[in-house]
Amino acid sequence: MDCREFCDNHLAFVDDTLAGVELVRMQLHLTECDVCAQHDATIRRSLMLFRNLPRIEPSADFSKRLEIKLHEVKMADAAANHRSSLRFRAGVAVASAVMLAYIGVSLRHVDTPQDLVLPPVVATATTSEVPTSGPAPEMIAAVPAGIPIWTAALFAEQTPAHFASIQLVSAAR
Amino acid sequence: MAIIARKQAVQQGANVRDQLRAMDDSGVVTAFLNGEERAFSELVERYQTRLLNFIYRTIGDREKAEDLVQEVFIRVYRHLHRFDRSKKFSTWAYTIASNLAKNELRNRSRNPLVLFQTVQKNWQDDDRPLQFEDSTSRPDDMYRKRHLREIVEESVAKLPEHHRNVFILRELEGKSYEEIAEITDCNLGTVKSRLNRARNSFAEIVAPYME
Repeated sequence: MDCREFCDNHLAFVDDTLAGVELVRMQLHLTECDVCAQHDATIRRSLMLFRNLPRIEPSADFSKRLEIKLHEVKMADAAANHRSSLRFRAGVAVASAVMLAYIGVSLRHVDTPQDLVLPPVVATATTSEVPTSGPAPEMIAAVPAGIPIWTAALFAEQTPAHFASIQLVSAAR
Repeated sequence: MAIIARKQAVQQGANVRDQLRAMDDSGVVTAFLNGEERAFSELVERYQTRLLNFIYRTIGDREKAEDLVQEVFIRVYRHLHRFDRSKKFSTWAYTIASNLAKNELRNRSRNPLVLFQTVQKNWQDDDRPLQFEDSTSRPDDMYRKRHLREIVEESVAKLPEHHRNVFILRELEGKSYEEIAEITDCNLGTVKSRLNRARNSFAEIVAPYME
């Protein structure tokens, strides 16, 4: 191991996080190199000095002051919550008022009588043809002639249509 | 009857405090979020000294450090419901403290009238505790030790801010590299590199006084 490698690994060496083999190599280098041994000793001693600095304690009124500040924070938070709650309530009240006003205006418009304009009623007859189920005109013409109905019906089917009318004309002469 | 009820309430309170003391941070945080206000006092008790020392060593002003620790706890109180409980509470608290300390140093650099060493020296001259000295030591030893302590503190103050932060978190607070990376929002390589440089620089400054 050279000095450069020793310095690169020195952080882990001091913190005891080197693997076994590396640790042995570092220790071996320390025995061989006075400069690195001196560097290692200086670092360790200075760190020991720093770690042994006295720890300061909070002052006697620290807790009391913190308590007061926390109380203020709680009050401020409560006030903020109250304010936001009031703001919400005011918002709801305004929204309700607007809604009521809208409903009122709408209802007023409904109450006012207005002439209803409706489209004119147009009656239309259906164009479908009603099937005629009555007797044929020839048969009706035959009835006053004293011909029985069923024979008249036969005549009406078998004779030309103008036959009855010719007979009537000649009888009139 | 009222006295018995009061005694029972006091007993219950003591039991709750004992239970909280036995819990880990995660348990205490959960208790607080479930409405146990006393859990917050437990968190304050656990972290006030650690955070105070961390901030004090970072900014060098004791009074300001106390104010900032109070600010840390206020932020914790307000935002604990947003804290990601899959992470360590201590890392979160130190992150807040670190950010506040950084802001303080940034503000100070904008206002050159207040300097790190001036503030620290003033406090030391006025009301420094004599904890570093051993009462059984001889006066000249005590003087030497006090002087050495001042040198050490000044040497830390001379480190660049981002080196000092990492250095204090590792050497004073005993944080792991991973935690430091999370607190300082750096990657692991950067943390190792900064720590190595900080150690070397610190040793270089202090070395002449250790002879």
